[in-house]
Amino acid sequence: MSREEVFERLNKVFQDIFDDDSIVVNEETTSADIEDWDSLEHINLVVAIEQEFNMKFNMNEVTTMKNVGEMVSIILSRIN
Amino acid sequence: MNLTSFVFLAFCFITLIIYFIVPKKIQWIILLLSSLVFLFYDNFSLFTVFQALLILLVSYFGGRLIEKYRDTKKETVILLCSIAIILGLLIYLKYSNLLIITYNHIITLLGMSKKVELVTRVSLIGISYYSLIMISYLIDIHRGACKAQKNILKCALFMYYFPILPSGPFVRYETMEKELYKKHKFDYDRMCSGLVRMCWGFFKILVISSRVGYFVDTVYGNMSKFKGFFAILAALFFPLQLYTNFSGSIDVIMGVSEILGINLPENFTGPFFSRTITEFWRNWHITLGAWLKDYIFYPLLKSNFMQKLNKVCKKKFGKNGKKIPLYLSMFVMWLAIGIWHGGAYTYIIGSGMIPFACIFFEDNLAPLAKKINKKLRIDEDGFWYHLYQSVRTYVLFSFAMIFFRASSIMQGLRLIKRMLVFNPWVLLDNKTLYTAGLDMRDFHVMILSVIVLFIVDYFSKKINVREKLFKQNIIVRWAAIYILLFSIIIFGCYGLGYDATSFIYQGF
Repeated sequence: MSREEVFERLNKVFQDIFDDDSIVVNEETTSADIEDWDSLEHINLVVAIEQEFNMKFNMNEVTTMKNVGEMVSIILSRIN
Repeated sequence: MNLTSFVFLAFCFITLIIYFIVPKKIQWIILLLSSLVFLFYDNFSLFTVFQALLILLVSYFGGRLIEKYRDTKKETVILLCSIAIILGLLIYLKYSNLLIITYNHIITLLGMSKKVELVTRVSLIGISYYSLIMISYLIDIHRGACKAQKNILKCALFMYYFPILPSGPFVRYETMEKELYKKHKFDYDRMCSGLVRMCWGFFKILVISSRVGYFVDTVYGNMSKFKGFFAILAALFFPLQLYTNFSGSIDVIMGVSEILGINLPENFTGPFFSRTITEFWRNWHITLGAWLKDYIFYPLLKSNFMQKLNKVCKKKFGKNGKKIPLYLSMFVMWLAIGIWHGGAYTYIIGSGMIPFACIFFEDNLAPLAKKINKKLRIDEDGFWYHLYQSVRTYVLFSFAMIFFRASSIMQGLRLIKRMLVFNPWVLLDNKTLYTAGLDMRDFHVMILSVIVLFIVDYFSKKINVREKLFKQNIIVRWAAIYILLFSIIIFGCYGLGYDATSFIYQGF
């Protein structure tokens, strides 16, 4: 799966979790860019992404991911 | 070893001299030796050596074995056993009495009379800190965030590093390994900066905390005499005493560590300017909050049980249903904070349950408050509204801290009852006001120093105050340093009936 494809599918997960169809995530997107992205939503998001891509983040990654770009890199490293 | 004692200053002086004289390769060994001196200075016995060694050996071998048996069932077993041993020792040393009191209460309720006597256990300084630090070390190895230390002596230095023993902060191996074992050159500017930070810490402890402590102790010690506004003032003063005592000791040890060339994470960022209790706890004892978030709150939220509960609640109660697992996890986290603070119900209520209740109500009443503000056309971004929110947060925190400070829940409730006596004239009557441990001069010094504290804290949130100070011309720079130094010497409370050096957070 290419990076672009991951972004496309990831975008849908974000829109679903935050109930907002206007969300478009990119490499630099962080929790500061999305109003409802707090610690609870972060966990819900992580779990939804795990289900979407059929992979698992480890707890260290969950707490240290800096932006969506890093998230995508981890997803790619697991599914390819 | 008390941080404001001459012994501590001499200890730091000798450590620093040897540390910068010896070949840089063995600097970390000097640090380990001085840390061991610090660790056993007050309590050297076979039992305390056993405590220190047990946690070290379990962490060291636990970490190595976790790596050896990576991705096997054994890995999880080793991790869980290591954590259980460390926690078991901590519970034995710190929480035996809490368990005994609970057991006795249950026995009484059941109508039986076989009560268990309370016990006294000697524990080493900083055990509540390095127990959790070593648990995070093991979990981080398991999570792949860091590699296990191969040298047991280096592992010992990470665990016993003396600046963090008195009152934290919580550190992570991942960041500390980059600092602790590398070669450190002496740097004059860094030494000046560290010394100023130490002095600022001494100012907070000796000039403010000890002075405020006189008042608080007097009122708490004689509640039948000091009631009404005295009780209210004592409740409002205690957070100041606690903050200046705790953050002051953090400043002192951060200053020492800075001179050594080892940076530690910040533990406070002007908590009294927070607008909500949630924000307050983000700025207060930051490293404890981060520890609990990473090792309790997040794993709990991500657990299968919570995720299933999340789905069920979302189905049943709609969008708001997802808050149920959140509050459940938060409750567990706040309970852990309360328990960590000490083996007494006063801590569980004061630093656990009341803050949790505040956050719960704050979160749920926020939409209503927003509506009211909109109707009344209150500017939520205006200065006065900010001030109101900060004062409200301070008052709520003070309320919670009544129980934290009290020797029992009953004493806390008694203080609240005493507050209801209406006697505002004591504030105007000098003869009465100055009978509660502080005379007029002390009151003036206290008010002035608290103003200085708030100004510095306010600017610290925006700029690096020490860096700014060192950029000033020589007159301004030295004038500020001399004023700080002489204020400590002249206005510091050094004793005579009051132990300025009993650090509140050292008890944990």
